[in-house]
Amino acid sequence: MPPTNVLSAQDEQEKLLDEALQTVKAQSFQMKRCLDKSKLMDGLKHASNMLSELRTSMLSPKSYYELYMAINDELHHLELYLVDEFEKGRRVADLYELIQYAGNIIPRLYLLITVGVVYIKCNEHSRKEILKDLVEMCRGVQHPLRGLFLRNYLLQSTKKNLPDVDLMEEVEEAVGKPADGDGSVNDSIDFILLNFSEMNKLWVRMQHQGHSRDREKREKERQELKILVGTNLVRLSQLDSINITKFRKVVLPGVLEQVVSCKDAIAQEYLMECIIQVFPDEFHLETLNGFLKACADVQHNVNVKNIIIGLIGRLAQFAERDPNGIPTDIQLFDIFSEKTAEIIQNRPEMPVHSIVALQVALVNLALRCYPTRLDYVDKVLETTVDVFSGINLEPLEYNSEVCKELIKLLKIPVDSYNNVSKLLELQHFAPLFDYCDLNSRKLISSYVITNALDNETFIEEHDKADAILRLILSLIVDEPNKGDVKTVEDPEDFLEEQNLVARFINLLHTEDNDNQYLILNTARKHLGLGGNRRIEFTLPVLVFEAYDLARRYSAQRDSDEKWEKKCQKIFQFCHQTISGLIKAELSELPLRLFLYGVLVASDVGFDKVETIAYEFLSQAFSLYEEEISDSKAQLAAINLIMSTIEKSRCFGEENHETLRTQCAVAASKLLKKPDQSRAVATCSHLFWSSKPSEMKGEELKDGKRVVECLKKSLRISSQCMDLSIQVQLFVEILNRYLYFYERGCEHININIIEQLVEKIREELPNLDASQDETDQINKHYQNTLDHMSNPDVNDSSYLQLLEKLNI
Amino acid sequence: HIPHRCNGVPAKFKRLLVPGKIQHILCTGNLCTKETFDYLKTLASDVHVVRGDFDENMNYPEQKVVTVGQFRIGMCHGHQVVPWGDTDSLAMVQRQLDVDILISGHTHKFEAFEHENKFYINPGSASGAYNALDR
Repeated sequence: MPPTNVLSAQDEQEKLLDEALQTVKAQSFQMKRCLDKSKLMDGLKHASNMLSELRTSMLSPKSYYELYMAINDELHHLELYLVDEFEKGRRVADLYELIQYAGNIIPRLYLLITVGVVYIKCNEHSRKEILKDLVEMCRGVQHPLRGLFLRNYLLQSTKKNLPDVDLMEEVEEAVGKPADGDGSVNDSIDFILLNFSEMNKLWVRMQHQGHSRDREKREKERQELKILVGTNLVRLSQLDSINITKFRKVVLPGVLEQVVSCKDAIAQEYLMECIIQVFPDEFHLETLNGFLKACADVQHNVNVKNIIIGLIGRLAQFAERDPNGIPTDIQLFDIFSEKTAEIIQNRPEMPVHSIVALQVALVNLALRCYPTRLDYVDKVLETTVDVFSGINLEPLEYNSEVCKELIKLLKIPVDSYNNVSKLLELQHFAPLFDYCDLNSRKLISSYVITNALDNETFIEEHDKADAILRLILSLIVDEPNKGDVKTVEDPEDFLEEQNLVARFINLLHTEDNDNQYLILNTARKHLGLGGNRRIEFTLPVLVFEAYDLARRYSAQRDSDEKWEKKCQKIFQFCHQTISGLIKAELSELPLRLFLYGVLVASDVGFDKVETIAYEFLSQAFSLYEEEISDSKAQLAAINLIMSTIEKSRCFGEENHETLRTQCAVAASKLLKKPDQSRAVATCSHLFWSSKPSEMKGEELKDGKRVVECLKKSLRISSQCMDLSIQVQLFVEILNRYLYFYERGCEHININIIEQLVEKIREELPNLDASQDETDQINKHYQNTLDHMSNPDVNDSSYLQLLEKLNI
Repeated sequence: HIPHRCNGVPAKFKRLLVPGKIQHILCTGNLCTKETFDYLKTLASDVHVVRGDFDENMNYPEQKVVTVGQFRIGMCHGHQVVPWGDTDSLAMVQRQLDVDILISGHTHKFEAFEHENKFYINPGSASGAYNALDR
């Protein structure tokens, strides 16, 4: 059973503190009573008793602080009383002497300070001398905790009484006697610097007190007390008479000397940060060299990176707020760049990710303060490259600290410029990619492309296009994944990636035609290496861009005498590219691309265009015959071929006839009867509305062949066994007859139509009424009849027919 | 035609496409990729697509009829209708599907007209991609 009379450490502290506070309360009460009765000496005695509580070694810093604060309040009361008294005429100097005979040093010094402050306030003696005296006297307490609080009391009490005037030395000399004995700001500086040094020494001494196993506890206690030391710096910053010169010559060197020489990491880290925080940015700008040198000299386990990053951040913000605030003779970036390099050199054990973090800060500085200086950013990137090449790293793994910092570094210029074209001017941007592993490279490449897409940044020169495609190589070609980590590629991710690349290719666009051609060639070179998986996505984009280019050349034919040759080259380019796709075992896509090419060729219309178009069409046909085996796909393909021919204008009659015949044959060779019927029916349009070049824009209107097609189509339909399909086909073909009849095809007479209508009317009732299709077919038929009786159509032969059949 | 012929729906248009304000989307096809389809699905829950000649997805139907309110609306891409863009040929489709409104595409040319008491719409191209049929 644990003994109940042993209190925990915390309870122990609470008990001690309570006891102390009780004494304080009692003694202060007594003190006030005595003072009320004007019994100064007795009052002081009680004060002394009260102060003796501060002699303890048992309290933790937190508890000591509470005690200190309580006593502080009471001493203030004493101070007010004394000021009052001496305004009435009592002599301070005497009391000041007297106090020094008090017994124990702690109460003696606290009282001395209190009286000293009063002494200063009543202006009887040189301020300078009193302050000097006090700060020296405090040396008497060498115990770290007690000493710190004592000196803190000194600092707080003298807050409003430090001389803050800047007396020029010249005045002193001219006048021939020492300046106002009251003291100038220089004396205040000396005072505070001394106090600061002593406090820092005490603070550092705490590190080495006690057993080594308690080190962690001690360090924690030190952290709790850091603000006491820092207050000295705050006080320095509050002296208004300190101008930049004084700061640079006197204040900062004094502070830095103490910081560096104490050789204590905790102190150095805190104090360096403190310096950055309390003094204005204008001061920092003038003293960078000194400050950064000190950073190089601090202990090796101090986190210098954070200090420098903090400083850079502050100055960057300052520059943003006030662009004219930075004096032109201060080459901010150069200074930081140089000094940071020195620091890194001095610390060989600095981890790589910290070095990169510093580069990140430098890049931010460059971009925020000097947005036009591309070379600054490039310099930072160059430094990083040097760092990496010096270390000879393995490709950085995606999740490592270093890699994360590097990616951060690379993203900054991308976001800042929002212009990928400008990004390419940074010479050292691309080399940094080499140091990352595959996943990181993909990540940053996607980031760059996405930025381009979001900002619609067009890449207008072919060497820039070359550069950017090299940059995103990881997305374009298959790369062996170096290293042991085998990543399984997610097919969805791959798809997304390739779509991104494809969309990006659309940005490789310029209005200048010749340049565009060069860009296309460059792109083709790079993308062609992507392997079969990728070209499916990427090459079609190039083909379409090339077609567009051909049309552009055609549109500008008057200004470019070589336009025809250029168009030819373009079509060759497309042919080659599409063949590449065929080699990758694609068939439907190349077919469509060829057909599209026929349309473009037809549109462009130059001398040799017919040859090219014919070649494209034959290629399409080959694909149709050899590669496409699915019947649904076949039907779709032959329809496309036919509709393309129907629309094209570039074929002479000879070629056109061959093509028409081919189509008719192909249509009738489809496997399924319904497909055959439909395809042959579609073929009829080829004989009617297509325009071989000899017709000079007129339609062919070969009515005989049209009717042949339709008749054949009917015949095939009757061979369908499924009655429902048969009737459906009949209605469709009826509609086609009407179409050509209305256009004046002489080979169609009203009788054919009559027969067909009758046939349909006959068969309709035989259809299975429960099927949905029946309903649809009926509606279709009804709609057709409505069309025929429609007054807008206005065909008397229709009306006669309908009457005849009693419809 | 994303990404084949352009890199995306133009930004100005995209700003009008606010999710939640659109109830139905009727698309005449040639989205090309699933990515574009997914984007449409974020704008409205009811998305209808018919197959265009460059669509990757084989499963879109060639034609579709959607009933919205009292109207039967038919959709087809239009590359199957020969000659392309021909009113009478489109009318054949209208009769077959028995619809009041027929929406077709392919020509990238905006049209909206009445023909024989039925309404025909061609929305043009959502992405502004060019088409070789433009003369």
